[in-house]
Amino acid sequence: MKIFTCKDRLEDIMTCIYDAWSEALLIGHDQIQLKKEPVFQQTIFDEYIHVDQDLSKAEKVIRSIRRDISDEAYLNIYLVTLSVEEDALQAIYNFLRVGFKIGESVLQQYADPRVMRILELRRKVSNESHHFREFARFERLNSSNVYVSHLEPKSDVIMLVGRHFADRMPSEQWMIIDDNRKTACVHPKDGENYLRYLTDEEFQTLRKTEEYEDEYTDLWKTFFHAIAIDERKNYVCQRNLFPLWKRKHAVEFKK
Amino acid sequence: MNTDIRNSNYTTQEKLQILADAAKYDVACTSSGSSRRGGKKGELGNAEACGICHSFAADGRCISLLKILMTNHCAYDCKYCINRRSNDVKRATFTPEEICDLTVEFYKRNYIEGLFLSSGILRNPTYTMEKMCETLLLLRTKYHFNGYIHIKTIPGASDELLAAAGYLADRISVNLELPTEEGLHTLAPNKTMQNILNPMGKVQSTIASHRMAIGKSAYMERSGGNKFLNAGIFSDASKKHFSECLNVQKKDKAISQNPQMNRLESYKKYTSLDHALTRENANQLAPRDMSRLKRSFAPAGQSTQMIIGATGESDYTLLQTTQALYQGFDLKRVFYSAYIPLNEDNVLPEIGTPPPLLREHRLYQADWLLRFYGFQAGELLSSEQPNFNEMIDPKCDWALRHLEQFPVEVEKASYATLLRVPGIGPKSASRITYARRYGRLDYASLKKMGVVLKRAHYFITCGGKQMYHTPIEVSYITRQLISVDKKDLWNTQHANESFTQMTLTDFGVC
Repeated sequence: MKIFTCKDRLEDIMTCIYDAWSEALLIGHDQIQLKKEPVFQQTIFDEYIHVDQDLSKAEKVIRSIRRDISDEAYLNIYLVTLSVEEDALQAIYNFLRVGFKIGESVLQQYADPRVMRILELRRKVSNESHHFREFARFERLNSSNVYVSHLEPKSDVIMLVGRHFADRMPSEQWMIIDDNRKTACVHPKDGENYLRYLTDEEFQTLRKTEEYEDEYTDLWKTFFHAIAIDERKNYVCQRNLFPLWKRKHAVEFKK
Repeated sequence: MNTDIRNSNYTTQEKLQILADAAKYDVACTSSGSSRRGGKKGELGNAEACGICHSFAADGRCISLLKILMTNHCAYDCKYCINRRSNDVKRATFTPEEICDLTVEFYKRNYIEGLFLSSGILRNPTYTMEKMCETLLLLRTKYHFNGYIHIKTIPGASDELLAAAGYLADRISVNLELPTEEGLHTLAPNKTMQNILNPMGKVQSTIASHRMAIGKSAYMERSGGNKFLNAGIFSDASKKHFSECLNVQKKDKAISQNPQMNRLESYKKYTSLDHALTRENANQLAPRDMSRLKRSFAPAGQSTQMIIGATGESDYTLLQTTQALYQGFDLKRVFYSAYIPLNEDNVLPEIGTPPPLLREHRLYQADWLLRFYGFQAGELLSSEQPNFNEMIDPKCDWALRHLEQFPVEVEKASYATLLRVPGIGPKSASRITYARRYGRLDYASLKKMGVVLKRAHYFITCGGKQMYHTPIEVSYITRQLISVDKKDLWNTQHANESFTQMTLTDFGVC
């Protein structure tokens, strides 16, 4: 079996699908697997092929998806490429196999497990992005008048989160930092968002922002504790709705 | 009583503590229903149709809006309320600037989605409402705040102020508090039903006219599935039936002595839309200077809340009132608040009585059945069975009383029929209707589509077969369904108790 691997970015993934597909035309789809890098445990008898990004190939794949399936399908696939799940790449490939055969109506064939898997992954990513829109907390750095937020999402959602805030706070300067991937979504005042891969040095400096005192944090904590009704205390419900791993940077839970 | 609005005895933090604490018993904290793009230079904020919760408090309720009272000074003496005049509690008042500042700064840090402003009665309703409107105007104009605002109107304030509030806020609400005139008379002597329904009716007809003027339907948007539900409370047939009933009641004088019918009378007064829906009337509540704000009138509609468990109303009364409010006043939501005894009074439950959380839960379940599932209040409860079954949820309860309609064949049944099966909701029902166009279904794929088979499998067949060989028999299915939910049920009922394992230290050993 041939296993195609690539980095976890949209262009790389699309190129990988292109190469895998052309190989599959020779040896059959069932002889192909796709994996995201890094691959932690290699199998002995399979051949591993690393694919580097090639914009023209990626372009072709995206064009075919939008033309032969639908824009909606491409949106789904785009969101799935952001997913952290191991099998995301394979799931996209499997979905494309049915998708190109059936066309536009494929997204409604809920009885097909390959379609359902894509929709499931997409839902996970968009839910996570929604949650971090809810739970992101900005801290104002008084010296520079910048609002900084740290997140540790599982999927790569900071640009999706950033888009929401670009509409909400266009005339402020802010950045959202993904502590796991060391990337930042930066918004200059009245400008466009952009993604920045942080160097270690930059990351270490930005990391310290959470130690700054923000005068409104205390007020927020006061409000947060005052608004709960003691007679109805229900920590299980609270944890279901606001899981612990999402609370890491929510200031109201810090001592 | 110190009614000076500029009292400066407390710091902002202390005021926030007092006024958030006083506001916590208001239930509605939704920020949904309004969709507005931001992105304009120099402005702050937008609104998402789905609403956004920003945190969850220790009681598991969401924190979406900065829910505060403008003041907890109050001229009224409602028996159930912590802020009533005769209570000796710390009193504080926010100035409009303080509220604006908190809202905007919290918003920029993404702590909240907007402001929920309510208030005790300072001096008189009109004065209070004026101050509240001043706050909102300041927030919208000086602070360029474009986020979500929910305002509680004060019953008895003037029409001009009501209109101003509607233009400045996204959602406007009046608390019904108690579903009957008698209840209100005993517990809230300063309020009357007329006083509450009057503004509700005015707001509703203004919203309707505004919606017509910009080319929308007069009625608020409801969940998409409702267009397939011919028996639901938002269907045309049901609306027609509702207004016919009102007309009949009007003619029938004998009934009008019954206070509950009286109430429906007053619904009628404000629900006859025929005279109201003209372009001129769109401005009936509107003072002229509001038009330059270019805001639509309460785009997220209005809502209300009722206290449950303080007086002896049955669930049936509550649910019927709810339905009448949805149909008559086109409310977006009706909220329920399990009564927590705070005050010593012989007409109220004793302090320490646990709040009826399960009952509240059942009412919300029924509320969803009305709004999303095409049920009517009369189907769920009746005067013979006026309260919900504690052991089993309203939908299962209904299904068990109508076993003759089951089993339902999922490959053939209509959307409306599917929705009536316990364990199938709007999402899974619509997925089923799509998926079956392209191929056969089986139980594994139903599960993937979101059908809760542990409840549904007693009531459906798929491809002509049941999932297991189970009899369609009331006593059997009841027994099974009760055991399915036993654990959740116990958790809801015993939410406030905590047990820990005994250790040796409890006995004084070691």
